[in-house]
Parts: sequence; C-alpha cells; structure tokens
Amino acid sequence: MTKTPGEKALYRWTRDLHLCLGLFVSPFVIAFAVSVFFLNHAKVDTTVATSVVTIRDVTLPAGLEVARGREAADRARELVNQAGLAGEIGFVRYVRSEQRVVIPVSRPGLEATVDVDLARRIAVISKRPTGLLESVAYLHKMPGPHNAELRGNWFWIRLWRWLADWTVYLLLFISASGLYLWFAIKAERQIGLGLLAAGAVCFAACVYVLAV
Amino acid sequence: MSSLSDPRRKAAAVLEAWNRRLHYYLGLYFLLFIWLFSFTGLLLNHPRWSLSRIPNDANPAYERPIEPPRGGADLERARDVMRQLGLSGEIDWPQAAQAQGRLDFNIAYPKQATQVRVDLARQRATVQQVDRSLWSGLRIMHTFSGWRYTSAGTSRDWIVTSVWVVAMDALAAGLLVMVFGSYYMWWRLGRMRVVGWMALAAGWASCVLFVYGLGFIAPCFEELLH
Repeated sequence: MTKTPGEKALYRWTRDLHLCLGLFVSPFVIAFAVSVFFLNHAKVDTTVATSVVTIRDVTLPAGLEVARGREAADRARELVNQAGLAGEIGFVRYVRSEQRVVIPVSRPGLEATVDVDLARRIAVISKRPTGLLESVAYLHKMPGPHNAELRGNWFWIRLWRWLADWTVYLLLFISASGLYLWFAIKAERQIGLGLLAAGAVCFAACVYVLAV
Repeated sequence: MSSLSDPRRKAAAVLEAWNRRLHYYLGLYFLLFIWLFSFTGLLLNHPRWSLSRIPNDANPAYERPIEPPRGGADLERARDVMRQLGLSGEIDWPQAAQAQGRLDFNIAYPKQATQVRVDLARQRATVQQVDRSLWSGLRIMHTFSGWRYTSAGTSRDWIVTSVWVVAMDALAAGLLVMVFGSYYMWWRLGRMRVVGWMALAAGWASCVLFVYGLGFIAPCFEELLH
C-alpha cells in the first residue's frame, strides 16, 4: 500500500519535530534523569561548609510579625535583599517568644538561612554552597507540592516551573510522535509490541503493589 | 583502501542500526513509566490544581495490645511491632527524638499512610491510617524512594521500596541512553545540522543558566528591576 503525499508530509513533519524538539528538551531530560540518582542514593551533610555573616541595623519591614503566607514572604524579601541574598523563600517562621524571624532562602548553588533578632535588629546569615548535583536535584524538586501558597515567590522559580511544565509537554509530544514513527516501521512492529506489552506488565505490577 | 575501511563501515552501520533500535525499544518499554512521571510531575508542580490534591482524612484511630517488641535497635523493634500489627511499608522516623518509654514512627506507602504510637510500658499501640485513592497513590509514587538526602539517619528498609527505586533508576538510565543515542543519530543523519544545533544550544543554554547562572544573573536582573 503506497502512502499519499499527505501521509508522507505528516511523517516528515513528525520526524523533524521529534528530532528538533527532542534536541531542545534533551538537556532538561538529562538534568531530571541524573538528579534521580542523586535523590535516590546521595547523602549530603548539611552542617558542613557553612559560612556565617552578621548584619546590624537592618531595616525591619512593617507588619512582618503578623503577615501570613505569601504576604509574609513578600515582606521577608526586604530582609533577604538587605542580606544580599537572592533566592526562593522557603517559609517565614516568626518565633514570638524570642522576637525572632527565621527565613530559609535557596537557589541552585546555595542554601541560606536569615535569622533576624527583631528587638536588636541584627540578622545572622548562614550560607551553605551546594554542588552541581545538589543544584540539579534542587531544580528537580522545585517548586514542588508543599507550601503551595508560598512557592514561586522568586521570579526565577516561577520561570523554572514554566520550563519544567514545558519539559513535560514536549516529552509527551516526543513520546507520542515516537510511537507514530515506530509504528510506521512495519518490520519492527512485532518486537515493539512485545516490548510495549512487557513495559505495560512491569508498570501494572508496580502500580498494583504500590498504589492499588 | 576500500578493503580497510569496509569493516569499519560495517561496524558503523551495525552500531547505527542498533543505536536506532535501542532508542525506540527503550522508549516503548518505558513509555508508561515516562507518562506516569510526566503527568505526576505536572501535578507536583501545580499543587493548587484540584487533580493534585491528596485527601488527608484519617480513619478513626484504633488501639491494640502488643507483646514487648523484640530487638535492640529502634528499627528492629519497629519492624516487630509492624509484624504484630500486620502492617507493611517503609518506616519513616519522626524528626523529634523518641521519648522515654515510647516507640513512635510512621509507615509510608503510596496507597496508605500510617502513624504508629507505641506505649511500651502499657504494651499498647495506637494506629491511625489514611487510605489513599489510586490517583493519589500514583502521585505519591513519583516521590516514593524511602530516602532523604539531607537526613543522615534515613535508609530504605522495605524491599518493595528498593525494587521501586531500581525501577526509577532504570528509567533514568534508559532516558540517558536514549538522549545520548539520539545525539549520535542526529549527528549521523547529516541534514538538519543547523536547526539541530540551534535547538540543542537553546536547550543547553537555558538549562545551564538555571543550574549555574542564577547566582550571577538573578542579582543583576533584580537590580535592573529596582
């Protein structure tokens, strides 16, 4: 059976898009895949390589003690800026009994905590630089499902969320177009169907054991 | 001259054919796993979506008498308590140290979350469980590894978790083979070099910017904004 010109054009377009979009998204796939090994097997001592800096006379943003959620993060950002830090604010913890505010700040390459003594207007900043793999693992997990109200309080994490979403959309397109391109090769259909079935059985077994 | 290059050419042709086959064989085998991690990745990225919500309504707690748990270490004793209660899953220790006369731990399992609170003196265990739907279970599978790289004390202690981690590692390794194999295929293809380079450079540039560059670029960018 010969292919119509339309079918041929569809095949060519699918093949070229599969290639180009695959090349574009490949660094993201590498980053997500490599970080899986880190997330599953690595151990990091978070207490080492920490530098501590103290800043005096910090300007306290108004209403920080009473602000909640995203508003608290926005006000805490003023303190984070004074500390010379840039990054995503994890949460804002106000310790009423000690008149302190603790703000963890993170970005690829850095984990920091800004601990502010509100009465004395002193901020103590502890920093821990993170390595390449930990940075990639950090991006793998961001913005993540926790603290939904707060997440994405830094522009670059919002941008990363958008890129991570597009990695998924492109991966879905690439897998679907890959299916189509494979199906067009008649000689490989049987073994391909066998592998598809084998993968489906393994997948079903995992889901059955873990989630059903 | 041609006789010298013939075996090389043949080897290159075989490598090319097998590289192409490996690319779609791996893709077909891992297809459902790729879709699982893609969809659940989206859900994890968007916790406000109604599809992303994981209900946390606990079943009524129940209390059971237990035998004094055997073993010296907390892990052995927790396993013995689980055996007595007929529970299974990955043991997850609370952040706080164990109080005197108590053995408190959680059991993680994508389809169920369990809190076990043991009063060793009274020899009674209080159990509270949250049952998960299949949908929630699938989402939890994405992050279920029994491992926290920042917690020195954590380790995997359930065979099912270890098997699942092997599956996740295999998927990651398979994706890496597919990506590097695709680079080779594209290079050997000859055509679409310019467009390919542009796509690859754009991908790597944006990825490297996030991994390495934010420390330099973000402060400059923020200064510009202010």
